[in-house]
Amino acid sequence: MNENRKIRVLISKPGLDGHERGAMVVAYGLRDEGFEVIYTGLRQTPEQIVNAAIQEDVDVLGLSILSGAHLGLTRKVIDGLGAQQADDILVLLGGIIPEEDIPALKEMGVDEIFTAGTPIKDISDFIRSHLPRSPEQEPVIEKP
Amino acid sequence: MGRDGYIKKIETAARQWEEQVLGPRIKRFNLAESPTRFYSPLNVRNSDFLEKVGFPGEYPYTAGNSPFDFWKAFAADAAKTGYRPDWGGAGKVGKYGGFGTASDYRDYLLRMQSMGRKGGPNIAFDLATQCGYDSDSPYAEGEVGRVGVAIDSFRDFQVIYEAYTGDLDIDKVPSNYTINAPAAVIIAMYATLAKKRGIAIDRLQGTPQNDILKEFIARGTYIYPPRPSIRLFRDICVFCTHYLPRLNINSIGGYHIREAGATHIQDLAFSFANGIAYIEAGLAGGLDIDAFAPRITFNAFGGSMEMYKEIALQRAARRIWARILKERFGARDPRSMMIRQPITAHIGCSSTTLQRPLNNLARAVIGGIAAGMSGGIPGAFPPFDEPLGLGHSQEATQLQIDATRIMIYEAKVADVNDPWAGSYFMESLTDETEEAALAEMEKIENMGGAVAAIENGYMPRCVAKSAYEKQKLVEQLKEFIVGVNCFTSDNEIEVSVNRIVEATYDPERMKTAEDRQKKSLARLKRERNGTAVSTALKTLCVHARDDSYNLMPDIIECVENEATLQEISDVLRQVFGEAQPIKL
Amino acid sequence: MQREVSEMIDAMKRGDTRALARTITLVENRSPGWKEAMQAIYGDTGSACVFGITGSPGAGKSTLTNEIALRLHDQGYSLGIIAVDPSSPFSGGALLGDRLRMRNICMKTDIFIRSMATRGVLGGLCQAARDVVRILDAAGKDIILIETVGAGQDEIDVVRVSNFVMVVCIPGQGDGIQAIKAGIMEIADLFIVNKADLGGADEIVADINGMLDLCTHNGIPRPPIMKTSTETKEGLDALVENLIAYARERKAATEVNRNHVKEEILSLLEREVFHFVREELSGNGRFEEAVEQVLSHRADPYSTVEELLGSFPLYRGMKTREK
Repeated sequence: MNENRKIRVLISKPGLDGHERGAMVVAYGLRDEGFEVIYTGLRQTPEQIVNAAIQEDVDVLGLSILSGAHLGLTRKVIDGLGAQQADDILVLLGGIIPEEDIPALKEMGVDEIFTAGTPIKDISDFIRSHLPRSPEQEPVIEKP
Repeated sequence: MGRDGYIKKIETAARQWEEQVLGPRIKRFNLAESPTRFYSPLNVRNSDFLEKVGFPGEYPYTAGNSPFDFWKAFAADAAKTGYRPDWGGAGKVGKYGGFGTASDYRDYLLRMQSMGRKGGPNIAFDLATQCGYDSDSPYAEGEVGRVGVAIDSFRDFQVIYEAYTGDLDIDKVPSNYTINAPAAVIIAMYATLAKKRGIAIDRLQGTPQNDILKEFIARGTYIYPPRPSIRLFRDICVFCTHYLPRLNINSIGGYHIREAGATHIQDLAFSFANGIAYIEAGLAGGLDIDAFAPRITFNAFGGSMEMYKEIALQRAARRIWARILKERFGARDPRSMMIRQPITAHIGCSSTTLQRPLNNLARAVIGGIAAGMSGGIPGAFPPFDEPLGLGHSQEATQLQIDATRIMIYEAKVADVNDPWAGSYFMESLTDETEEAALAEMEKIENMGGAVAAIENGYMPRCVAKSAYEKQKLVEQLKEFIVGVNCFTSDNEIEVSVNRIVEATYDPERMKTAEDRQKKSLARLKRERNGTAVSTALKTLCVHARDDSYNLMPDIIECVENEATLQEISDVLRQVFGEAQPIKL
Repeated sequence: MQREVSEMIDAMKRGDTRALARTITLVENRSPGWKEAMQAIYGDTGSACVFGITGSPGAGKSTLTNEIALRLHDQGYSLGIIAVDPSSPFSGGALLGDRLRMRNICMKTDIFIRSMATRGVLGGLCQAARDVVRILDAAGKDIILIETVGAGQDEIDVVRVSNFVMVVCIPGQGDGIQAIKAGIMEIADLFIVNKADLGGADEIVADINGMLDLCTHNGIPRPPIMKTSTETKEGLDALVENLIAYARERKAATEVNRNHVKEEILSLLEREVFHFVREELSGNGRFEEAVEQVLSHRADPYSTVEELLGSFPLYRGMKTREK
């Protein structure tokens, strides 16, 4: 009977970095892949992001950071999710992320890092195959 | 045979060609249409050379702003003497940069100068500064000194300039500031510095970016809503025209709009729509058009691999702007009508790829050829390792400089002005570009101009949608990017080069910058005259509420009394409100 | 009821935000246990006051919601906000962006914001919104704001879940209030002319008045019109005072509420009956058979429906009585 199941994704930009292109393209792309995308826009503090993820009860949290502040900001978001027992949320990271930071980010709990040039399909496939939370992943629209 | 007869003859020939030559070939390969185009005089029927192109340095400047650029006069000498440009800047402008605290950056600059680097300050500010927050703001956490230097107060500003004295004093070299929303505060600091050094402020030169409207369309470091932001622009424009006449008023960023995903037409139309809004603000401030329009500059339109389109864009841009200034705003001074920009055509950083990055050198060279053919220095921009995100290596910079030299000296790319003038194809493409941009500008005009088209979300949404469309084309293999969505099999080999990243900024200092900056900010707040600060801020607040005041003198007063950048911004936030993000 | 569900509801009532959010997801997705959850919380509902905010795209609804919420919160009210945006008819996905306009309030502990997509569920959105309102109500929110674009019947239905509907217009919107979908005028309890600082506000007030002259009749209270600006903050305090006054005076069982209850029971009935009928018919293969009949023109769809329903004794009885 779970005919209304939708995967919900929060796309957010922590910090003051205003380069929004990647975040917006991913937001549009995931919408077209059938996800419900909550877009919070620029200048979000880690606390705001955690709060939004909890209230919106998202399955996936996508962060986009191009300012080089990714280690600190991501750590804060992940700690915040942990403090609310929300570490089952899939955390994805995009932006300008140097290769050598990736192990530390994964260690911290980032599920995957998608840098420039990643096809949207790769992101949506990753999400669909990694969601631990749901027995029925396929979004189904109610039949008339 | 008259012109009409000539055209008729070509029309007949064209029909014949299509039927007997082109048509059968299309059929033979089973295509719906020809994969190539061919242009003939039929495509440029109404082309009047003097009206549409003109000689280099003459209206409408399609063929270029001048008969030859200044650097051409020194090119041969530069080769003989082995001149090495302080790359990243042009002429006396220094390399763009900034990190840590003011003293970190000053020390870095002094070290670079001791190694022979010349040129004035070209300052990158950290994001907190760009967004009007001090280093002790919760918003600044983790951002202090990261993408640029942290400036909280005039003290910090002054410390950076300890690296600029003597031959590099502020009346001798220009200062460039990548600053938008708090531009008024930074300009006020510059003026205050001149005063403290006993230098007349009318000797100050340089360029603040000061292009707040594009921040709403791309880049995102806005503070106040668009309308009060334009009022601040007006105040800067009027003040600088009267008191800092050698300072450029702003640098309008087509570059950022394109990098955010705009099409080339949106790039042109939105930049000009913003430009018109700035011009109107200056006029509303009571200025004569020719008193300030020459000080409105641009920050490089363009940014794609499609070199034909980019060349046409440069030609169309010069013509459109010249006509707007002359016909719409009644400018008489040719300098008002010219687009002044540091580089012309280029590929844009977003054309570079992380995959097989050395290919970016080939890409940048194509951008350089387009630049050389459209009135600029044929610069190979950016260095191939741009997308690797670690700063440019010495190797990449060397290759970039050499590529540029090869284009100039060996290929002689820039030896002819507007080499495409008169090409049926290029004239037709230039006309098309112009028409499409004008149509888009008219749409914005009908909405009420750039400010309205930001408030209703039109321009930012268009750019986001174009970025997404572009992404879809790449994913659906309708557009190809070598090494990204095609030619990626195992047979291809990765070509790597040794890469020494220039030891730019001291990582230890980067780590501790936030703490040290917060401490010095706390010290400032203890040491300064609190009463003087609050008096200055109060006056600013009162005058901000009255649109007829020019706020620059008040902001200078605040800066002189060591009010912080955030304190000044907060007063204006309180009066002007804060900008809302744009809903997708 | 499953243990996890009942534990979740208990936690929600204790003020656990995550439990509240998850209960909404459970019910919105119609996941197993949703009905039991709604049954369990119904007793705790009925005290919240529900305000609907609708209007054309670009009218500044989210920003206005932000300002209203901020003021209500300052007066000590706890709030739930439901921001509805349309789902894409092509992908079924949605881009929910209202939250980004609510940055002043998103960190207040007593404000819970939830974005909702219309999900293309015909007639179902109204019930889904009603359910979410109830959950927020049961979680102890004093006031619930529902914000939605007044573009289609679905969205109009959503605001009808509220006790009090605000319709937001702005100056210079083409032919003024012609832009407002028919059907919205009738449900407005208050008109707000937002962005009043832009000029042209008085014209649109006149337009609305003209329209109201045409469509309000004797006995029907004429909704007031207020001017606001989220830039200059004009009119916002007064607006919120009005809302608070309304919330205080609101009577529990007005005629409007009676209609709401009727509508809800009927719509729930409709869905249940529909599900029941569909399950029954798909089980015995008769439905597919009927489709074949109509396809080959051996039967018409009208008689087919009567025939299919004929297999239900209740329906047969009704038909017999009719005759």
